[in-house]
Amino acid sequence: MSGLRVAVPKGAIFDDALSALEGAGLPADVVRENGRRLVYSAAGTEFIVSRPSDVPVFVEYGAADVGIVGKDVLEEHAFNVVELSDLGTGRCRMILAAPKERAEDVRLAIGHAEVVRVATKFPDTARRYFERMGRQAEVIELHGSIELAPLVGLAECIVDLTATGTTLRENHLVVLDEISTSTARFICNRGAYRLRHREISALADAMQGSGEPVG
Amino acid sequence: MLPPESTRLLDAQARIRERFRLFGFREVLTPALEYSEVIEENGLRDASYKLFDQDNQMLLLRPEMTTPIARVVAQRLAGNPGPRKLSYVLPAYRRASVGRGQSAELYQAGVEVVGSASPMEDAATIALLVDVLMSLGLEAPSDFAVVLGQSAFYSSYLRHVVPGAATPVTAALAAKDLVAVDALANGLPAEAAAGVRGIPRLVGPADDGAILEEAERFVVGEEARAGLENLKEILRHLEAHGALGAVILDLGLTGRHEYYTGAVYEAYASGLGFTIANGGRYDNLLRRFGKEMPATGFAIYLERLLSVLPGRGSRPLLVLVGGDVGGVEAAADLRENGVPVLHLSEDLQPRAAAEYARSIDAPWISYPAKGGVKLATADPPGEFAIMDARSVAKAVLA
Repeated sequence: MSGLRVAVPKGAIFDDALSALEGAGLPADVVRENGRRLVYSAAGTEFIVSRPSDVPVFVEYGAADVGIVGKDVLEEHAFNVVELSDLGTGRCRMILAAPKERAEDVRLAIGHAEVVRVATKFPDTARRYFERMGRQAEVIELHGSIELAPLVGLAECIVDLTATGTTLRENHLVVLDEISTSTARFICNRGAYRLRHREISALADAMQGSGEPVG
Repeated sequence: MLPPESTRLLDAQARIRERFRLFGFREVLTPALEYSEVIEENGLRDASYKLFDQDNQMLLLRPEMTTPIARVVAQRLAGNPGPRKLSYVLPAYRRASVGRGQSAELYQAGVEVVGSASPMEDAATIALLVDVLMSLGLEAPSDFAVVLGQSAFYSSYLRHVVPGAATPVTAALAAKDLVAVDALANGLPAEAAAGVRGIPRLVGPADDGAILEEAERFVVGEEARAGLENLKEILRHLEAHGALGAVILDLGLTGRHEYYTGAVYEAYASGLGFTIANGGRYDNLLRRFGKEMPATGFAIYLERLLSVLPGRGSRPLLVLVGGDVGGVEAAADLRENGVPVLHLSEDLQPRAAAEYARSIDAPWISYPAKGGVKLATADPPGEFAIMDARSVAKAVLA
């Protein structure tokens, strides 16, 4: 059928991404069958599963024609890909948070233009956020368990994604500010967008809601 | 860059030069260093290596070739009758890719037609690009396509219909963020929104006419009309060039450099996510150098092009081993017959000679012998046979 290669992200938006692809008539259910494989193919379509932050890399280089990824990943790094549509799923917020008992201190420190230490998985997003406010922050890049950083004094606050806020509450963190909201996006390689426009735009339209299968 | 990679690059450059010359383009050389003021586009300035001369003037290593050629034409060739059809095969330098392990030196080949506003010249340069890519063994549209747009069409639509939103919409489109374009369109009156949303999505083969028909719906004002007519004129001539089948229209394509004013295009190869060439019309660039001269042209990114070219076959080369004065004479005799010969003065055993030949991708080894040479294949090492120079030529050049 399509002959496209589709990059699907592991993690929070994995299920929504597969449902959207299935809703558009792609045989994405093969990806659910066996969690260990890296490449799946069915009816001429190939699926690759990767870390969310790697999805736009595969797409930018043309190793995948299209992909699904959260806007948060696209905002963190300027990938040269075409952003075709907003799938509306996987909604989450990029927030600035601090421990409850020190939240007011951190707010004051930022208000007084003191240099605060921020732990985050999204260093560029964090830096841009503070720059936009005319503030300077020391950004510490971590790769997991961001909530740990303020608990042990590595940082005074964090910039992180949250969907429900449960992890924040469990670690006694409160939201100081909402930086942006993010939803899943359907992205496309800029060469494939032109060379295979008909099938890719049909897929984008089908995913955006009509649910009609792609021909 | 070492053989065989360098050989492939030089072969491609030689072929490209041949095609450029066949279309009457004359090759220029410009200095790698340019005064900083020559380049005004922010993106290009950021990507440039900068240095200072003894008078503290800032210099740039040229990040591309179009602007240096515009400068040369404006300063040195403006008195000549136009148009000037110039070509180049030179490296440019960009620091954007440093840190990703990519080379800071990019080999480019391209042409510029300076001093003509005719859409026929846009069509002719696009056709030349298609000719070059096909002469290197690529097929259209299976291996590559040239994506053609008109940067004046969408921008004049925006200026006419939604002047206030033109800047953010253009910025969103330049970032290839169609979601942001849609979001901006949602805040506009329905009729305007249809064009803001619709024009960037007009993408499809140039030879089926459907895209242009659709585009007609969004023609507002003289400028947009002129832009569309210009595009039609280019397509009419591309058809005469026999290049229309290689072209895809994309009315959302705006061109990567701010100096583009009209037709813009990018060439894509299937399976490679990046452009292998890009070009377009830049009618205001020479104003920067005090001349009003419209111009159009393209640049091919040779390293990217090489990565999609077919064929890595070895070339005829024979390693002739030792033989003292007799070896020198045998080598001369072979070269006389057109055989490329690498003569090693040291006497190597056949096994060592074959290993040496394989290390330089030479398919043949030989030793001087009575009445000619002893010849054998190097990979896999074959049996030696005695042949005269003419028979060797037949075997090696076959």
